[in-house]
Amino acid sequence: MSDSDKLAIAAHLHVLLRRKTGRVTDTEWMAANADYAQEIVRFARQRATEDNAPDLAEWADRLEHALHASPPAAQRRPLLDAAAQAVRARPAPPPEPAPEVPRYVGGIR
Amino acid sequence: MRAVSHWVFVVVSLCLGLCTCALAQSVPEAPAIAAPLTRPALVAQDTVNAAHTGWMMTSTALVLLMTLPGIALFYAGMVRRKNVLNTMACVVAIAGLVSLLWFAAGYSLAFTPGSAWLGGWDRAGFAGLDFQLEAGKLAVSHIAPLIPESVYAMFQLTFAIITAALLVGAFVERMRFSAMLVFVGLWTLVVYAPVAHWVWEPGGWLAQMGALDFAGGSVVHVNAGVAGLVCAWFLGRRTGYGREPFEPYNLGLTMAGAGMLWVGWFGFNAGSAVAADGRAGLAMAVTHLAAAAGALSWMLGEWVVRGRPSLLGLCSGLVAGLVAITPAAGFVTLRSAVVIGLVAGLACYWGATGLKRLLRVDDSLDVFGVHGVGGIVGSLLTGVLASKTVGGAAGSLLTQAIGVGAVAAYSLVVTAALLWVVNFAMGLRVDEQSEQTGLDIAQHRERLGG
Repeated sequence: MSDSDKLAIAAHLHVLLRRKTGRVTDTEWMAANADYAQEIVRFARQRATEDNAPDLAEWADRLEHALHASPPAAQRRPLLDAAAQAVRARPAPPPEPAPEVPRYVGGIR
Repeated sequence: MRAVSHWVFVVVSLCLGLCTCALAQSVPEAPAIAAPLTRPALVAQDTVNAAHTGWMMTSTALVLLMTLPGIALFYAGMVRRKNVLNTMACVVAIAGLVSLLWFAAGYSLAFTPGSAWLGGWDRAGFAGLDFQLEAGKLAVSHIAPLIPESVYAMFQLTFAIITAALLVGAFVERMRFSAMLVFVGLWTLVVYAPVAHWVWEPGGWLAQMGALDFAGGSVVHVNAGVAGLVCAWFLGRRTGYGREPFEPYNLGLTMAGAGMLWVGWFGFNAGSAVAADGRAGLAMAVTHLAAAAGALSWMLGEWVVRGRPSLLGLCSGLVAGLVAITPAAGFVTLRSAVVIGLVAGLACYWGATGLKRLLRVDDSLDVFGVHGVGGIVGSLLTGVLASKTVGGAAGSLLTQAIGVGAVAAYSLVVTAALLWVVNFAMGLRVDEQSEQTGLDIAQHRERLGG
């Protein structure tokens, strides 16, 4: 699932929680941080039961699913391929600087 | 008999007066006075010149600005962060201490007639620096008869302050504050005041010999440079010197201080004409040109040798040019000033780098490399380049060399003796723990914010 999909689900849950429970959440952090998102999922399910709000539980499920969803196949590459490409893409090392007298050792000027 | 003694007095006065024309901080002609004074005296108030007096009061403020905050900033920017406040405190304390000592005895010992070696005690406690409103009289110095003696004494006070403050650069980051106060106090009275008398009081032996020092090339810069070198040698190197980098705290402060020195030096040199006249104007112009030439020649030298010009090099170069033009300011032409500045920039660059390595002394902020070398170069070049048309006196390289040598030798020997005495009495150097912690905390229980 793409990041923008995760963000859309998080935004929807943010609005529901605010409207039904008064709880204010951080939408972007919810889409980025798994621990925070899991805690919001737990809280949403708890309030869904207590307040009889099935839509909260539904969007909590969606967020949890998004958290555990695998990245798109096109983005997956063998580690060795990625490492090799990174090495090839590495810029050439800069030329060795001329050896300098250490600054401020034995005199300020 | 009385007539004979009168004529002897007049002839001697005229001779001294002629000698005075060739002196540093020389006196303008005094048409209102029948015969030149040979000692401080009370004169009618209308004999002083308002323009000269106004310019000398301005110059006094400019020279004090060179120390507070000029030297304080210039030095504080170059030390490590943990010693910035101690460096500034040393400069401020010296300003206060030297002021009181100058009032108590320094001025009298330096600028009243006495022997060829030392002045008298007539003006101790500024005795006789009178202003009598109802009687219409005021005191003037025989060296500066057209301005109130109070102004002249204050002008010279600011020179005594800055000379002592220059020493700080040699012993920063390792000298006990209390020992510093005792040493600098003694040094002002025992070294600075006699040397000022030799060179600037008409009866001083170097003045009699015809040594040229317009504003203090030998009295201030050679004197402080050599004394600084002795201090650095006597105290020993800072812990870690030559092995670890001593990062300057903020070279921006150093640049601000250097700018104040450049501006303040107009008072230092042009004020040493002791008049608001053409010679003062020329002194101001040569001062500026020499500073500019010094900054550029140091910069070019560093660029060629090290591949990069540095801000600290530019600031050091301008100070080198200012130092070197100091003895020459009222004696040389504008073109000569450029030559002096160019030579001084390169000579002082060598003094602060190559010569420093040869001497193997931890002169922390290169007091000798810049002020000592610059003072020597400027004093000797004054002997070569002095124009009789400009200053009324031709230079002599030999006389200048004798003057520089005498000041350097006296400063070296007596400074070493004073340091030995103070070290014996109370110890000069902080302990290693304090040096590691930094003198801001160890000596003052203060710390930079931020």
